Amino acid sequence: MELNISIRKKLPHFDLDVTFGCRKGRLLVLVGPSGAGKTTIIRMLAGLDRPDKGRIQYGGETWLDTEKNLFLAPQKRRVGYVFQEYTLFPHLTVSGNVAFSAEDKAEVPSLLKRFNIWHLKDRKPDRISGGERQRCAICQAMARRPRLLLLDEPFSALDAVTRQNLREELQKLKRELSIPIIHVTHDISEALYLGDDVLPMVNGRIVRKWMVQFMLKGRPPVPERPAEPEDAYGYRDRQDLSILYNSLEMMH
Amino acid sequence: MKRFSLSLFVLLFALMGSFCPAAAAEKLIVAVAANFILPSGEIVALFQERTGITVEPTYSSTGKLYGQIVQGAPYDVFLSADEARPAQLKEQDLADEPFVYARGQVVLWTAKKSLQGAADWQSVVKNPETRKIAIANTESAPYGTAAMTALEAAGLWEALKEKYVFPQTVAQAFQYALTESADAGFCAYSSALSDKAKGGFFYPVPEAPPIVQAACVLKRTENRPAAEKFAAFLDSPEAKEIKEKYGYR
Amino acid sequence: MDPAPLYLSLKLAFVTTVVLVILAAPLTYLLVYVRFAGKSFFDALLNLPMVLPPTVLGFYLLLVMTPRGGIGRFWQAVTGSPLVFTFAGIVVASLVYSLPFAIQPMKAAFEKIDRRLLESAYVLGLSPLAAFFRVIIPNAINGLAASAVLVFIHTLGEFGVILMVGGSIPGETRVASIAIYEAVEALRYEDAAMMCLILVPISYLFLLLINRLTQRQIYGT
Repeated sequence: MELNISIRKKLPHFDLDVTFGCRKGRLLVLVGPSGAGKTTIIRMLAGLDRPDKGRIQYGGETWLDTEKNLFLAPQKRRVGYVFQEYTLFPHLTVSGNVAFSAEDKAEVPSLLKRFNIWHLKDRKPDRISGGERQRCAICQAMARRPRLLLLDEPFSALDAVTRQNLREELQKLKRELSIPIIHVTHDISEALYLGDDVLPMVNGRIVRKWMVQFMLKGRPPVPERPAEPEDAYGYRDRQDLSILYNSLEMMH
Repeated sequence: MKRFSLSLFVLLFALMGSFCPAAAAEKLIVAVAANFILPSGEIVALFQERTGITVEPTYSSTGKLYGQIVQGAPYDVFLSADEARPAQLKEQDLADEPFVYARGQVVLWTAKKSLQGAADWQSVVKNPETRKIAIANTESAPYGTAAMTALEAAGLWEALKEKYVFPQTVAQAFQYALTESADAGFCAYSSALSDKAKGGFFYPVPEAPPIVQAACVLKRTENRPAAEKFAAFLDSPEAKEIKEKYGYR
Repeated sequence: MDPAPLYLSLKLAFVTTVVLVILAAPLTYLLVYVRFAGKSFFDALLNLPMVLPPTVLGFYLLLVMTPRGGIGRFWQAVTGSPLVFTFAGIVVASLVYSLPFAIQPMKAAFEKIDRRLLESAYVLGLSPLAAFFRVIIPNAINGLAASAVLVFIHTLGEFGVILMVGGSIPGETRVASIAIYEAVEALRYEDAAMMCLILVPISYLFLLLINRLTQRQIYGT
């Protein structure tokens, strides 16, 4: 797999302990209630946070290895990061933001057009709508030709209609790109709509499918032995996830 | 609780006591020119001992004190560093007839070893090693005016213009020279005789006129008898002894 | 009335402002963004000139600026001339005197910048130094302007410190505030009044400017 991450970190309310990977051209969703540690994980992927112990590898490159004391600065990772808010520079126009560290400044106009924000290019971020801002943020991230795209609840602050539109646009974008994309959300339907792979997270752990059955039936099941490790994920329908959350609520 | 109310009572009593104007009738506030700080300290102490009258001296530059008096400051006696200001006060009917209480002298003082042992003060100020010379403000400090007169008499005033530094008071001029911020300074003779001046060296400046320092009792004093007593004491033999010790005649 | 002290005051204020804004920016960056041991002590130290009486500050500055003192000796060695009683000397004194006034507005402006903007810049490939110039400064420009204006006014009115370390040399260190003081001492009240008459509107204008700048910060551009 293109991206591999395995980290552990002690957080105020629980311990974060996850291991997973993502392939090129796949969109992996980290879904779960707020505070489950999802944002911390993608911040680590970007290089903005560090685990107590762990490794992050991209292709042949080691971005982080606590045992060997290796750490690659965020500047060098070429990652695209879309925050929920405040991701655009308020002192620059839309085109200024996109061009900020564009790989090829000549490409900027076509990028703006492709993301449908060409007509906003001379406006400052405080003069455009929330949905337009997020589109601009994605455009800004893409201008750098990133190797990995990270989105941290990018649509949570928007209204339902805009959210749906942007989800569709992201779907389309995904099909054009061949990089791993990791998307964080607390919305189950968004997770199922967008995700090729869906990883529910609760209290710092990824919840695997067989664990749900274990919890429901009260006895250890025969663990599924998937063909490839990554197929241990894959909650494919809403019911699965709902069962998961309900059972977790029962546990607490 | 009892302890608390007792201490509160004592506190209130003490506060009341401090408000009693009982002994205030025998207190003088005396405005003294900055250069006369040291001798006046001793004279005041002696006076208090002899008469039991409390004296509170205030020190500042002559110019500032004069300005304050004209604006109505509550001083009883004014010890100036010149004759002009007390005379002006008399003219404005703010003071009694002034009298001379001391004669000071300007000297050139330096802390620097390399400037000591020269022939006279002129060679010190002309010396290229002397880069900065402190002179008290020539408009408002009589010692500064006297120094300027001496320099003009020696034909050096204009030539050495680049070297002058103008502190506000003659005491500050001494401080500059003492800390070697200035290579030499025109100071009061009394400064040159002080303990602080031990490591330094002074040159007499005969071209500078003596600083005739006059004092006067201010008309607005509310304690005329005490004020006049103090004025008289300034001329007493004991006061004279103190003054001579500090280089005043 | 001699105009030289007024020119000197303006010159001192201008030079001090330019130098201090440039010096204070990295210091403020340290205070806001970098974690280091003893930071609160450092912060308090930088604010000291604000609470010390100017004559106290001036007294200590004189001690270190004389040819025998630490800074004075260094200056003499590097430039061959003394620091005390020179224009450079009162600039140094003004820098110390107004340092807290430069830092405060800048600090407020830097702190208002969302960390995520900086993080976004890092992820987009900017080094911390590049981010300082391309993200922090442009978004703190109102704070920088307020700093500059505050330092300017503060330096125009500076008296006690310059009195101690300046030596009141005409054309070099006799700034307007000292000249006014000396005029009063020498009973030249008209001269004093004239200089005040010119200084007051200048200071007032700058105060107006500060108000406009800080208001824009509150209500948004």
